[in-house]
Amino acid sequence: SLQEKEELIEEWQPEPLVPPVSKDHPALNYNIVSGPPTHKITVNGKECINFASFNFLGLLDNEKVKNAAQASLKKYGVGTCGPRGFYGTFDVHLELEERLAKFMRTEEAIIYSYGFATIASAIPAYSKRGDIVFVDEAACFAIQKGLQASRSNIKLFKHNDMVHLEQLLKEQEAEDQKNPRKARVTRRFIVVEGLYMNAGDICPLPELIKLKYKYKVRIFLEESLSFGVLGEHGRGITEHFGINVSVIFL
Amino acid sequence: MANPSAVCNGHLHYHQKQNNLLKSGISKKNGITKGIKKNGVSNGSLSKKAFIEHFEQAPMYVAVLTFVGFGVGTIFGYLRDFMRAWGLEKRNIATEREQQKDFVPLYQDFENFYTRNLYMRIRDNWNRPICSVPGPQFDLMERVTDDYNWTFRFTGRTIKNVINMGSYNYLGFAETDANALKTVAKELQKYGTGICSTRQEMGTLDKHVELEKLVARFLGVEDAMVFGMGFATNSMNIPALVGKGCLILSDELNHTSLVLGARLSGATIRIFKHNNIQSLENLLKDAIIYGQPRSRRAWRKIIILVEGIYSMEGSIVRLPEIVSLKRKYKAYLYLDEAHSIGAVGATGRGVVEYFGMNPDDVDVLMGTFTKSFGAAGGYIAGKKDLVDFLRTHSHSAVYATSMCPPVAEQIIRAMKCLMGLDGTTQGLQRVQKLGKNTRYFRRRLHEMGFIVYGNDDSPVVPLLLFMPGKIGAFARRMLEKSIGVVVVGFPATPITESRARFCVSAAHTREMLDTVLNALDELGDFLHLKYSRYSKSAHPELYEESRFELED
Repeated sequence: SLQEKEELIEEWQPEPLVPPVSKDHPALNYNIVSGPPTHKITVNGKECINFASFNFLGLLDNEKVKNAAQASLKKYGVGTCGPRGFYGTFDVHLELEERLAKFMRTEEAIIYSYGFATIASAIPAYSKRGDIVFVDEAACFAIQKGLQASRSNIKLFKHNDMVHLEQLLKEQEAEDQKNPRKARVTRRFIVVEGLYMNAGDICPLPELIKLKYKYKVRIFLEESLSFGVLGEHGRGITEHFGINVSVIFL
Repeated sequence: MANPSAVCNGHLHYHQKQNNLLKSGISKKNGITKGIKKNGVSNGSLSKKAFIEHFEQAPMYVAVLTFVGFGVGTIFGYLRDFMRAWGLEKRNIATEREQQKDFVPLYQDFENFYTRNLYMRIRDNWNRPICSVPGPQFDLMERVTDDYNWTFRFTGRTIKNVINMGSYNYLGFAETDANALKTVAKELQKYGTGICSTRQEMGTLDKHVELEKLVARFLGVEDAMVFGMGFATNSMNIPALVGKGCLILSDELNHTSLVLGARLSGATIRIFKHNNIQSLENLLKDAIIYGQPRSRRAWRKIIILVEGIYSMEGSIVRLPEIVSLKRKYKAYLYLDEAHSIGAVGATGRGVVEYFGMNPDDVDVLMGTFTKSFGAAGGYIAGKKDLVDFLRTHSHSAVYATSMCPPVAEQIIRAMKCLMGLDGTTQGLQRVQKLGKNTRYFRRRLHEMGFIVYGNDDSPVVPLLLFMPGKIGAFARRMLEKSIGVVVVGFPATPITESRARFCVSAAHTREMLDTVLNALDELGDFLHLKYSRYSKSAHPELYEESRFELED
């Protein structure tokens, strides 16, 4: 009845928007860095050697990079003021994509403006609801978010454990025999990282390639940490193992 | 009259008095009072501000013709697919390598039907590359296609000085003026280009702290936190604020970043009709009375997601009514001011100032720096408890890199300019120029007889095209006249309502706007785009002369 409804509305108390955080939580008191974060870094006024930033090739302090950035600042200003579709594509974007494709010896490349968003957007673009994705347990947070957004079936395998992965693939194949019509339309992917951010070791790519052809799965390789680090010229894990890069899907 | 003793000032005094007379004379007339108030500082009460929004329906024949257009396109699409399957026509779409021929195909044929057949025909209107700063005018790279838009080839020439009606450059901060960018260049030299670490590790520079304090001061709230990317701000912080057992009420036309954030959070989502307070109230009542769907327990939290200006409609959210609803039902309000920060409001502080409300009424203020400030990144502002919680629990703080120093410096300089802290009134002038440009542009479009959606004060101006064939024709002809526009169709808008969207900027001069309007006039006649049945007289200046004088 109307009277009861009014009472219910008045009585209801929501939780506070955010739970209170204790004042001495470590993340609240930031280590404030002043000055450029190169191999030496000034934290909270003290000068330290920097073992914490991902500055593998030391390019943060390079004069050539800075000069190129200054020149582009003069020509283009700071922001792009628009997404790629609506006049946000600059000729430098296209040039970078061409160079990346040539360097990595692939057909084409695409760039994103935020590292986290790259893999988190690429996975849901291909893997939709009903597809199957085999993921390493130690995959980084961005991959986890991408998988969550794609709503596919996720099967985790133990970190760098090829035996477990093969077991899962066999189970999947057995299920496929039962329902071949559905199996013809569900796509299968494996998502691995070149250099794991959470564990620090490299994935065994040659074995993965063998599994790929045997069970017909496509491989997503996330090389955010191994690009520029592994391999003779810095092309990443495919060069490190001497594999032709066209075998990898993405 | 003029004081005879002040002879040298006599003329000036007389002139001023004349103006004053005019002003006071006009205020006595009915209906023109609002015109004066709109130019000045807001008075704080809604009744004096006219909330005019237009959402005119098209005549019936237009809807019918639109469907016919899509039907023809679909029939031809089937025909082409048939020809491709039988090898009569080339297959230009990406194909598998030889070794992978027996893998499960990536693209189901039917899913890409729309992309292959309808989108490919007019694909040359999107992703146009430019090679200069995206200011009020820019240079486009010319590209031609040999095989009907499947591949493009650059001729190497550039089309110079195309008027830019597409970039989100509302306050004109996308500039290469060396004087203005002096501090940015200095910071670039000092700090380098990147950060290479996340916020909670070594990623917080003193620049970030300065920026956050400035943002908080600008908006009038206690504290703020900045992130590296605007889209990611939404999709990574909404999951931190709500979880399972909470209810999210989001507007029909919310941006993808809000929808993604809501989905990732795991809470229940209910949608209310666009800007419809009645629908929102019904949903709130039902939610509190009936609780969660199966267990009938009470909801933990209810949060309302709205945007300041909706980017495809140009409409402004009805903030006062939503705030009163929120207080009555004890829900929380999350306001995404991506397009409205810097663009509306008397001093550019967004919809909160536009309606004259207190920023404490809104629980979470979110915005991006990409649009009005000419940089990149996003922020969330509000009470100190909220921001502290986000510093510890937000996904972006822990896993994603922070904003890079030159970009932070650009935002600092733009904000200081807007607030007047650098000693000039340039910021306020920009905001006022934007307001004038917006109102002039919209008024002229209405007079010409186009159907234009949205609020009269929003710088986002969608002009309805309706028929799919006109999308391509419109964009290409405007490019021939050296004007760059943005056209949008399905799936970003409903299938019958494809539109061209103009973004008015403070950097546009009157001449540029006049050029665009004349071109639109011609094109409107040529393509029969003037659907409006409420067109005003084409010569209002004959009886409203005073309006023109006051505007300058």
